[in-house]
Amino acid sequence: MRPHTSVFQDETRLDINYLPSRLLHRETQLNFLNQFFRFATESPGKMSQRVLIVGKIGTGKTVLSQHFGLNITTEAQKRGINLHYVHVNCRECKGSLFMILQQTILKFIPHFPKRGYSEAEMLQALMQILDERNAYLILAMDELETLIRNGGPDPLYKLTRIHETRLKAPQRLSLICILREPECLEMLDPSTKSTLQRNIIHLEEYSKIQLRDIINARVTLTFRQGTVSAQTIDLISELAASEGGNARYAIELLWRAGKYADASELLEVSPECARKAAVSIYPVIQKDTIASLGLHEKLFLLGVARRFKQTDAAYITMGDAEDAYAVVCEEHGERKRGHTQLWEYVKTLSASGIIKTEISSLGQRGKTTLISLPMVPASDLEQELSKMLHMKKE
Amino acid sequence: MPIEDVLSSRGRVKILRILVEIGELNISGIARRAGLNYATTNEHLLALENSGLVRHKRFGRIRIYRFNEENPRAGMIKKLMESWEQTNKSEMGSHEITNR
Repeated sequence: MRPHTSVFQDETRLDINYLPSRLLHRETQLNFLNQFFRFATESPGKMSQRVLIVGKIGTGKTVLSQHFGLNITTEAQKRGINLHYVHVNCRECKGSLFMILQQTILKFIPHFPKRGYSEAEMLQALMQILDERNAYLILAMDELETLIRNGGPDPLYKLTRIHETRLKAPQRLSLICILREPECLEMLDPSTKSTLQRNIIHLEEYSKIQLRDIINARVTLTFRQGTVSAQTIDLISELAASEGGNARYAIELLWRAGKYADASELLEVSPECARKAAVSIYPVIQKDTIASLGLHEKLFLLGVARRFKQTDAAYITMGDAEDAYAVVCEEHGERKRGHTQLWEYVKTLSASGIIKTEISSLGQRGKTTLISLPMVPASDLEQELSKMLHMKKE
Repeated sequence: MPIEDVLSSRGRVKILRILVEIGELNISGIARRAGLNYATTNEHLLALENSGLVRHKRFGRIRIYRFNEENPRAGMIKKLMESWEQTNKSEMGSHEITNR
């Protein structure tokens, strides 16, 4: 018997971090960005820019910014301009300006000391590095909500006003702020808000036809010829369009459908594979959201998922969750974190929408936080987390 | 500084090797990697800087050291260390093949 050949040719191009060479249906927005930053290659240092990219999940915010970053740095290089594009994810930086600056500086000096300095010193060091190297920087801050929620208006104020304290010096730092919820900007002070809102690029949800083009392009890149039928592509674009025009969801669906086809040793990715894949993905909470959590956040969430598996109740108390987490920690040989730290985890998990919290009200003695899992079945969440934690151990 | 003053000190040779390997580093980072204490590292770095072999850049309180590329002696020492490491590696590789 011949061994089954995979339907994939190169599945790495379905990875969340893969940057396609052509950006489909975002040409206008890319053009906007090019216009906003024209000065960076024509008269660098004369001005700086702040641009806001706003759009729902999976509308291509990150890929648009990264694509632009790649183009503009290549163009600058051709002209002999030392322009850098650095993309940082505020959620991965735990919403801390210090960590954002640290990640940025590490791109220039890979062994820059990681501790012992204040935010202000880091910002000063970054500007000094740029000055010394005669470099210009476009700093893209993805998931900006986390920085605003965590640090309030100050971090953005400092970043947008840095050039005011450097009279007559070249303006070296420009910003691209990427966010999902523009309401978040209300938390900023009026002056920062007005500075940021001058240049906004709104990304609309992808339509079904646009999603079909995107999927078609990815199919050509990743699957062996003739293994994905037109009906499957149609179905996937339809499903993703109904999930708010979410291209990331569409790509994940495509990958999973391919995996189902391989697991069933099929020669073609059938619509049935896509249907099975759709059942297994919960669009609201995607793999990358869970993957970006820290080890103990994952362990805590695993505890919560397990406790929900054992009970029919809609809520568990914070105390229950802590007990379940303690057991998980023991199982993984980790020292458990204290209550205050767990409370921080609950806040992060709640902000990312994985869990929902509310304060217990009448009928219960004292006050406690009630946790619910509104979006994902506990068993699926447990499975996903266990897989991730297992992979980490290996 | 005469060459024996550089090469006879284990600490200085270690520091130079670290800078060849890493490129730029702060004092605590160098001290940690060299297994020396901060004060000794600082002293060695001052001596090396006086001889023109290394130089530092200051970012507020932070001092980042690196090889002084403009000094021909520094260039020679860097080359020597790089080819020494290279030879070590290729010798280790050939040992492994013989042991198989």
